[in-house]
Parts: sequence; C-alpha cells; structure tokens
Amino acid sequence: MSASQSAVRSRAEAVQVSRTFDWMILFTLFTAVLGGYHIHYMLTGGDWDFWTDWKDRRLWVTVAPIVSITFPAAVQACLWWRYRLPVGATLSVVALMIGEWINRYMNFWGWTYFPVNICFPSNLLPGAIVLDVILMLGNSMTLTAVVGGLAYGLLFYPGNWPVIAPLHVPVEYNGMMMTLADLQGYHYVRTGTPEYIRMVEKGTLRTFGKDVAPVSAFFSGFVSIIIYFLWHFFGRWFAKTDFIADDAS
Amino acid sequence: MKIIKDKVAKLSFVALLITMTAAMFYAPTASAHGEKSQAAFMRMRTIHWFDLNWSKEEVPVNDTMTISGKFLVFAGWPETVDKPEVSFLNVGIPGPVFIRAGSWIGGQLVPRSVSLELGEVYEFKVLLKARRPGDWHVHSMMNVQGGGPIIGPGKWVTITGSMSEFVNPVTTLTGQTINLETYALDNVYFWHAVWFAIAFAWLLFWIKRPMFVPRHIAVSTGKADTLISAGDKKVGMVFAVGTMVIVAASMGATNEKYPVTTPLQAGLLRGMKTYQMPESTVSVKVDDATYRVPGRAMQMTLTITNNGDSPVRLGEFNTAGVRFLDPAVHEDETSYPDDLLAEEGLTVSDNSPLAPGETRTVEVTASDAAWEVYRLADLIYDPDSRFAGLLFFWDENGTRQMVTVDAPLIPSFI
Repeated sequence: MSASQSAVRSRAEAVQVSRTFDWMILFTLFTAVLGGYHIHYMLTGGDWDFWTDWKDRRLWVTVAPIVSITFPAAVQACLWWRYRLPVGATLSVVALMIGEWINRYMNFWGWTYFPVNICFPSNLLPGAIVLDVILMLGNSMTLTAVVGGLAYGLLFYPGNWPVIAPLHVPVEYNGMMMTLADLQGYHYVRTGTPEYIRMVEKGTLRTFGKDVAPVSAFFSGFVSIIIYFLWHFFGRWFAKTDFIADDAS
Repeated sequence: MKIIKDKVAKLSFVALLITMTAAMFYAPTASAHGEKSQAAFMRMRTIHWFDLNWSKEEVPVNDTMTISGKFLVFAGWPETVDKPEVSFLNVGIPGPVFIRAGSWIGGQLVPRSVSLELGEVYEFKVLLKARRPGDWHVHSMMNVQGGGPIIGPGKWVTITGSMSEFVNPVTTLTGQTINLETYALDNVYFWHAVWFAIAFAWLLFWIKRPMFVPRHIAVSTGKADTLISAGDKKVGMVFAVGTMVIVAASMGATNEKYPVTTPLQAGLLRGMKTYQMPESTVSVKVDDATYRVPGRAMQMTLTITNNGDSPVRLGEFNTAGVRFLDPAVHEDETSYPDDLLAEEGLTVSDNSPLAPGETRTVEVTASDAAWEVYRLADLIYDPDSRFAGLLFFWDENGTRQMVTVDAPLIPSFI
C-alpha cells in the first residue's frame, strides 16, 4: 500500500474504523482524566472530601467547587472547541467520582476498614451537568465561566445536602453535644489525622448568623468563575496541535 | 550471541514471575507505628508517659478495654518542637481496629484538641471498643500541632470474634437509636446512584453518535454549528432544568425529614485539670551523663539530697517509655510490655537508703538492649542531644516520689 492509498476500502469500513477510534480515544481520555483529576483533587481537596467530619458549612462548601472546576473547564475546552461535544465537565466528574469510589471502597473500607458512611466522596455531578448544558446553549466560554462557574459553586452544597444531612443530626455524648459526623471522626481512629488538623467552621463569615452555607457557596461560585477561565485556557493550550508539523491549530 | 541473549531474557522473565508468585505467598502484616523511628529527643523530652495500664490483653469484638495512666508535659520541652498549646490525645493503632468510645484528661471528655501546660502532670484514660479481630499494637499517643505525633509505649492486644458482629449504637438528640457503623449508608448509595444515572444518560446521549473524527472534520471545515441541533438543545435544557429541580426538591425533602441538624462542632479545650503529684522532697543534680555506645548503657553521676523525713532509695529511671528498674527497690506488677521493661536494668553505685538530710553522689547506670532496639541511642545524632527522664524514689513505706532530670548527654565510643 502506498502512502497515498486510504487505509479503508469502503464507507462502511471508514465508519467502523471511526467508531473504533472513538471508543479508543474515549477510553484513553476517561482513564487519563480519572488519574490526573483524582490526584489533583486529592491533593487540593483532600480531607474535605475524605471525611464526613470535614464536610462543614464553610470551608468544604468553599474549597471543593473551586478546586474541582479545574479539569471540567480544561476538558470542556478541548471537547467543545475541537469536537463540539458538550460533555467535558460531566465526563471529567464521572471519571473522578468513579476513581474516588474505587479508592474509598477498596482502600478506605477494604484495606483500612473505615465505614463507607464516613468516607464517601462529595457529589459534584449536578454542577458538572449544568456546566456542560450552559456551554452547549451559550457556545461561549465567558458565559459558561460566569453563569456556569457560579452555578457550579451554588449547586454544590444543596446537591450534597440529602447525603450529608442525616450525619448532621445532633447527639449528646458524655456530656457534650456533637453531630453524628463529629462522632464518626472521634470514634473511627485516624492516627495521622488529629482533631486540630480539621479545618472546619473557621473564618469570619459571621454576618449572616447561622446561614453561612449560602454565603460560602456564593463566594465559592465567584472564585470558581476565575478558576474556570484559568483552566479553560490550560485546556485550550493543551488541545493545540502546533507540535504536529504542517498542521494548523 | 543472540541465542544467549534470548536465553538470558527468558530466564530473567521466569525469575521475575517466580519472585512475584513467591511474594504473593509471603505478605507479612505491617503492624509497627514507627515509634522507633521518631527522633529519640522527641520521645525523651516532650511527653513522659508513666503509670500506664492496659486493662486487657484479649478483648472480644464489641467488648471494651481502657488505656489509662499519667503523662508529664516536660518542662524542658525542646525548642525545635512547637509547644503543646494545641494537642490531641490519640491512640496509636492501625486504623479503626478499635473505636475510641471515650477519652478523658483529668476527668474531662476530650473529643477535641486541648491546651497543655509545660511542667504539669495530667491523668488520662482512653476507652476502646473492639471492632476488628487481630493482634494489634496499642499505643498511647499525643498529637501536638507543629510537633507531630508523639507516640507513647505500646502493648500487644488481641481482638477475638468477627467484625461482622460489631455494632455501634448511638441515640441522637431527636430520640432515634442508630447503628453508626452502617447509618445512612443506603442513603449515600441511593443519591450517588441517582446522580450517576443522570450523568451517564447525558454522556450516552452524546457518545452514542459518531464523535471524534467526523465532528473534528466538521469543526475544521467551518460546519461546527450543524453539530448541535435544536433537539440537542431541548434535551440539554431538560437535563439542566431537571438537575436544578431535583437538587431543590431533594434539599426540601431532606429538610423536612431532618428538621433538626447542627453544624460540625470544633474548638480548643483550655484549662485542663492537672494531676497533683505528691511534693518531692528529693532533689537531684546531674553532674554528668554519658552514653557508652559499645555497652548500650547510659551512665549518670547524680548528686542526690534527701530533704524529707524518711530514708529513700532510687528504684526506677523512666525515659521514652522504657523503664529501668532496680529490683531490690521496685518490681513491676502492672504487666508492662516486656520489650520496654528492663527489670534489672538500673544499677546504682550505692543504693543504700539515703537518710533524711543526707547528700550523696552516686554513679547510676541504665543498661539494656532497649537503648538500641528503641533507637534511643540515636539521641547523639539528634539536633538537641540532651536526655531527660523521670527518676522514682521509694521510702520504706512504699511511698513514691518523682523527680525529673534533664542534662546534656556525651557519647562515649570506646
């Protein structure tokens, strides 16, 4: 076969090769994002995502969306501007959460025997779906960053509340009041995670009394906008094909 | 030559397979906590644990045991370690093999961090409930912010039974009794399954159609707008609106189901009750101290003055949880861990009773393999090579007095 000849001999064969190529790329992309995003999120979100007694109204709400909007923005940049596929955020978050569930179930529970009800991952999927739809409808990075980034931050806490609320029921324990989540953290001994490491309920957002979570969510949404821009540009830069000779990006 | 190379390659591959297979059959349990790796000066000059007691050596699942005792927050706390102004009473165990059912300092429950004062003695107790069967090394432990974990002595404890029988009943302030081991687990699985299903549906909607090659061709040729149809946009709207409706509805339903919730509790406990040791009437001055490397022995020249009204004898030197005893004066009856107990490890050049008002200079030798086994001899390589420890004196009535010592340590290599 000469260099000018096609590798396929019919349209049907071309379609079949194209689909095979789709699945190969999808599998590679999915696993690469799973690994990279998982490491990134564990390093930046870390304990806030690991333990229920870290999932508070202030810092968890603030930190988790900000550090997790990164890969969705970057993968969106690649899949949308190159392929018009509005699944970058959802694909990234599904990959992350599958990786997290494997880790929590196999390692946290299967290896070190922490009950799953103390170490399940945060739910990031509602924000990711909305982020993808806004990009598809608006076809604008700016609109997605501003509206989608804000929505991503705002949806995080209510999207997790049905899972976390039962663990915020109070309990009296030996003369002290704590939540069931606090009690989990106290009961299930973590030798390397002493109580003072826990960064919860710290900060100066006292103006709104007990209604701290909405303020934190708005703040998280605003910062998520900036992080979205930044990582969207990272994604576009990585999706360039300048390194291929004679190919215009 | 090529044949030889091929054979070497094949044999190497076979050897690798054999090694990997063999490794699968020998996988010893990692049960240490790194206590021997912690810098010796940290263990000798920060928290001195004493009067420790492990209430049981064998516990069935669901049964409880305690670790209790006292600890002295050493007054000569090293400058290279942050002061214990924010500390947490912990236990050194390999994960939640026990649950910590309670922990107290001076009778106060300490689920949170505490502030400790230098030079003070505190009484503590940790109540543990057995969860996972096995042989576990159970340590007392103090985490210090800026100082790290300071691990105390450990003892092997066996948990018997089956973990599947473990229960952790808790009654909430709303009057519901739950098993914290499995509480709300179905709820966690349910909501994650719901959102995964929605997300997969969105992904499936797009990946069921040709993706990368034809779409890239379309985008490259300026036909990107044809790739998103009006129908796609409607489906997208349904997903976005549906997502927000589900989030809002589930949050509302949750608030109705759990009307009473409180924020996570956090804070520092100050003013912990200290334990008042009997006033010591013995004073000790360390004239010099050397560690003889070949002999695995520490020698101290002490000038001891008895200011009390009854004769006393030196019976124990305790440092980093290792206890060196003079059996003529004191014998351990607490089943202290063997590897940390040198029952005949303390010799005093003249250990006859020191009469009231008498001052005597004596040579004290603390020798045992524990110096090497517990890597206390590595003190000479630490950034602050001073030793410290507790000396215990007894009078003829069995009354005990505790004196702390703290002095430079000079190594002797010959």
